[in-house]
Amino acid sequence: MLKYVLQRVLFMFIALFLVSLFTFFLINSVPGGPFENPAIRPEVRLAMERRFHLDQPLIVQFGHFLRSIVTFDFGISLIVQPSRDITDILTERFPITIVLNLLSNFIIVPLGFFLGSLAALKRNRIPDHAVSALVVVFISVPSFVLASLMQYFLAFRLGLFPMIFSTSQNWDWDRLHSMILPILALSFGGIAFITRFLRGELIETLNSDYMLLAKTKGLRTHQAVFRHALRNSLIPIMGMLVGIFVTILSGSVVVEEIFAIPGMGRIMINALLSHDYPLIMATTVMYTFIALVARLLIDLSYSIVDPRIVIGGGRSAARS
Amino acid sequence: MSDNILQVKNLSVEFKTFTGTVKAVRDVSFDLARGETLAIVGESGSGKSVTSKAIMGILQQNATISQGQISYSDMDLTKIKQKQFSEIRGSRMAMVFQDPLSALNPVMKIGKQITESLVLSGKISRKDAPAKAMELMKAVAIPEPEKRYNQYPFQFSGGMRQRIVIACALAGDPELLICDEPTTALDVSVQSQILELIRDLQKERNLSVIFITHDMGVVAGIANRMAVMYAGKIVEIGNVDEVFYNPQHPYTWNLLAAMPDMETEQDEKLLSIPGTPPNMLHPPVGDAFAARNKFALNIDNRVEPPMFKISDTHYAATWLLHPDAPKVEMPDVLKKRLERQKAKGAYGNGK
Repeated sequence: MLKYVLQRVLFMFIALFLVSLFTFFLINSVPGGPFENPAIRPEVRLAMERRFHLDQPLIVQFGHFLRSIVTFDFGISLIVQPSRDITDILTERFPITIVLNLLSNFIIVPLGFFLGSLAALKRNRIPDHAVSALVVVFISVPSFVLASLMQYFLAFRLGLFPMIFSTSQNWDWDRLHSMILPILALSFGGIAFITRFLRGELIETLNSDYMLLAKTKGLRTHQAVFRHALRNSLIPIMGMLVGIFVTILSGSVVVEEIFAIPGMGRIMINALLSHDYPLIMATTVMYTFIALVARLLIDLSYSIVDPRIVIGGGRSAARS
Repeated sequence: MSDNILQVKNLSVEFKTFTGTVKAVRDVSFDLARGETLAIVGESGSGKSVTSKAIMGILQQNATISQGQISYSDMDLTKIKQKQFSEIRGSRMAMVFQDPLSALNPVMKIGKQITESLVLSGKISRKDAPAKAMELMKAVAIPEPEKRYNQYPFQFSGGMRQRIVIACALAGDPELLICDEPTTALDVSVQSQILELIRDLQKERNLSVIFITHDMGVVAGIANRMAVMYAGKIVEIGNVDEVFYNPQHPYTWNLLAAMPDMETEQDEKLLSIPGTPPNMLHPPVGDAFAARNKFALNIDNRVEPPMFKISDTHYAATWLLHPDAPKVEMPDVLKKRLERQKAKGAYGNGK
């Protein structure tokens, strides 16, 4: 087990290294650079490029980047928020995105499970059809359309919510209140995804022999569903949670734009558009790292949910 | 048969499908005495499993009991509510399934699965559950129950899993046990162990057993009475030696003649039944077996034969038993074989 975790951590860093390598060379192969602006005088530009090692060969630049990761000093932003410490930008922006993400996961998981179970249990009856219709809408209508609709009807016409993200600097009610609509907008896709998937899984496990045995043993329907069917349906869904988590983390760009949320999304887009290399690299590394850690945690927890999966492939669980 | 614990009367079960209504069980009646083992035999799709599922109240959603009643200790099981049914299931009747590999929850510990329903219904405390589970595991001859208690199904062989399924079934101390082809998925040597186990448990606990199988050889070793099903109907029912030594329905003849025995010569051809079972979307008019029966009479194609009485316990549904019917003898192969076996007493001495 420990050996396996260590192995996985090692692979994680290799993956992280490869992702940074590819990103680094990709963004550098895009024509243009951070200081290619006619308003910047050539000698200033040269000085700037020398200051940020942009005049050196790529491989040397990559070396500088690697050193910055190891020392956790990502340097300063070049264009997006000039001269500002990147660590500073991240610590300011990232919590907002993460809270948005976590809160929408708190909506996605229970609601997805509820709707998915409802559809599976009432299969081919009215609740199932209603849920299916909802799923189709949630999956096919982009989140920004739903976000705009909610903004118009719920915030503008009915005034139930603020139009845009609160400018309050603290985590107070104003801020949370203004986060409700973006959180909802971010959740629809995930809800639909989980609902659809769980419905399929659950229908399969509901028709399994062990459900019949559970019933003939004398369990009530709801006991059999909760104790036997749901747990077995959970196994394939766990893997998908990472995907949803990461998608929301990075996919909130448009929604953040609509509600004027100072989160990571806007920073990332601006960094990419303006060739703000240090900022791009810092955010890429961070997102990759989060995705890899999430993946590792889910993989490790598989063995808790499903005893047939033995972490590290030890011999202890061989058929006896 | 005064001490009947179960009485099935004119039971019909239908499945609604996209292509129409499948009449899986048609007008089936039988009763089951306390401590008796009734075997139901028949080929795939003859309605034997559906009958047992109807008794346990675990028919699929698209199935309906279109007529008949299942009387079980003053209750009609076709009428009671699911909640009431879940109190009977497990504690008074239980079931063993065909495929032990998929009948256990793969992610729950064995010991917990055995006593789960007892704990949930509050019959025993969580603290006493392990002892009870181990006691049951001993009863079904699982070695090292203390070690096995904490294992998962994937760590058990097929035969062991079937023993566990039987232990689950016995947990609530039922009086009626339905075994739906419990040995079909197991290999032959394990089959006989499981049969022996079921037979021993039946004697020890005076269980009433409905044993569903398509293996005639199994029937002889385990049952007192047997019913032969074809196309959703019981075509012959009687004590095991009556049906084996004095079969009356042409379908039973065919089934018996299709089975080899120890005396069967290597070059001897076994009888096979021509044709295929009827499509139960549109059951044929008259006797459903007529099309495959070389002894079929004209009337077989028009009117369904009623049950004719052969003895107090032995009935068969074939027009050949009508007083006006021409005398027909069973196939020679079968006749010779039955005489041979009668002399040796090969059948019906299982109990």
